[in-house]
Amino acid sequence: MDFHKEILEINCEKEARRISRFIRKQVLSMRKEGAVIGLSGGVDSALSAEFCVRALGKEKTIGLVLPETDSNPVSEEFALKQAKKMGIRADIIDISPTLEGFGTYKKRDEAIQTIFPEYGPRYRMKMTLPPDLLERDSFNIYTLMIDDGQGNAKSARLNKENLWNIIAATDTKQRTRMMHLYYYAEKMNFLVCGTTNKTELVQGFFVKYGDGGVDIEPIAHLYKTQVYDLAEHLGVIPQILQRPASPDTYSFHVSDEELFFRIPFRTLDLLLYAWEKGVPIENAAGAMELTEDQVKRAFRDFAGKFRTSEHMRKLPASLQKSIRRGCR
Amino acid sequence: MTDKLEIVPERDVKEVLRRYITENFLSRAGLEGLDDTDSLMEKGIIDSTGVLELLGFIEEEFTIKVGDVEVIPDNLDSLQKLTSFIQRKLAHAGH
Repeated sequence: MDFHKEILEINCEKEARRISRFIRKQVLSMRKEGAVIGLSGGVDSALSAEFCVRALGKEKTIGLVLPETDSNPVSEEFALKQAKKMGIRADIIDISPTLEGFGTYKKRDEAIQTIFPEYGPRYRMKMTLPPDLLERDSFNIYTLMIDDGQGNAKSARLNKENLWNIIAATDTKQRTRMMHLYYYAEKMNFLVCGTTNKTELVQGFFVKYGDGGVDIEPIAHLYKTQVYDLAEHLGVIPQILQRPASPDTYSFHVSDEELFFRIPFRTLDLLLYAWEKGVPIENAAGAMELTEDQVKRAFRDFAGKFRTSEHMRKLPASLQKSIRRGCR
Repeated sequence: MTDKLEIVPERDVKEVLRRYITENFLSRAGLEGLDDTDSLMEKGIIDSTGVLELLGFIEEEFTIKVGDVEVIPDNLDSLQKLTSFIQRKLAHAGH
């Protein structure tokens, strides 16, 4: 197939119309009356909300801003600014008390303290994968970094138990947000609109029954670079467009690239497209001015993440093959 | 858990590793056999969590410390590469 660097360029207006039609159709078919969406202050939720407003109108779109203790304060500021720009209602719910009640922070801190016993309230933490997969081959091994708030940083490689303990605790943040979104949705007979893009969906960069727990995913067919193109076209506020993509889950700032993707989005999306479409390694390397080794490395990473996250994209496994409507 | 080896010739290192990988990863990947040069990642035998398990095992079993910069496919992605890597580490440690 013909593969080139401009292959992900889209007709933004045509695509926006198509997605708006999709949202309208889904709301009607589910017999709902609107959409509720979590506004994170990032580009994915801002764009998805823009589509909801375009499809359903500003009266039928509600934004929830759901900060917690570790959230960057600008996330709330940008989310509210975006909501104001769209003219929609936006409610703020601090989910920290719910997380404290569940023990999210305590469980996470206990896991960290098994590695760094001194870790406490004034500390910040983040997890990262080795940087730049294309420059240097390495496995996806997480490093935990802590900082005492006075610039004294320490880091250590995470073993399986530590990693799973920290992830299990922090994933409750996204699951708590899902709970709030469905509370609003059911109360108002709205559906919950998801915000996962294709770059995330294919590689499993979402939380099962967290941000993955939604009724529709209007941007799940769009690569992150296309999300940015459409967001600019639809007038998402510049502060969000210029902000580096981040999960905003850890007290120490970490970008999506540092935490998970390991390749800058422009390059990542093209390579992901090439992998998905079965573009031969030599063709992808030639078009992108990369070595075949670099492309092979990226493809191996995609295949591994796709395989590991496959269960996250499926309905729960059961012996029930299909549900048929009864005869009339 | 395999008994710790006092002397670890290449053949023994490889067999310890083969047994560990077979018992812990092969059936999960739906595979029955493992060639010395099979890529553990490309064949879906280990994922990133599997690498962590493997690291924990070889550090304990061979009493070696694997540095972050050594956690690369060139050292860990096949039975042959793992064996050579561990042999080098053991030789360096004076076993």
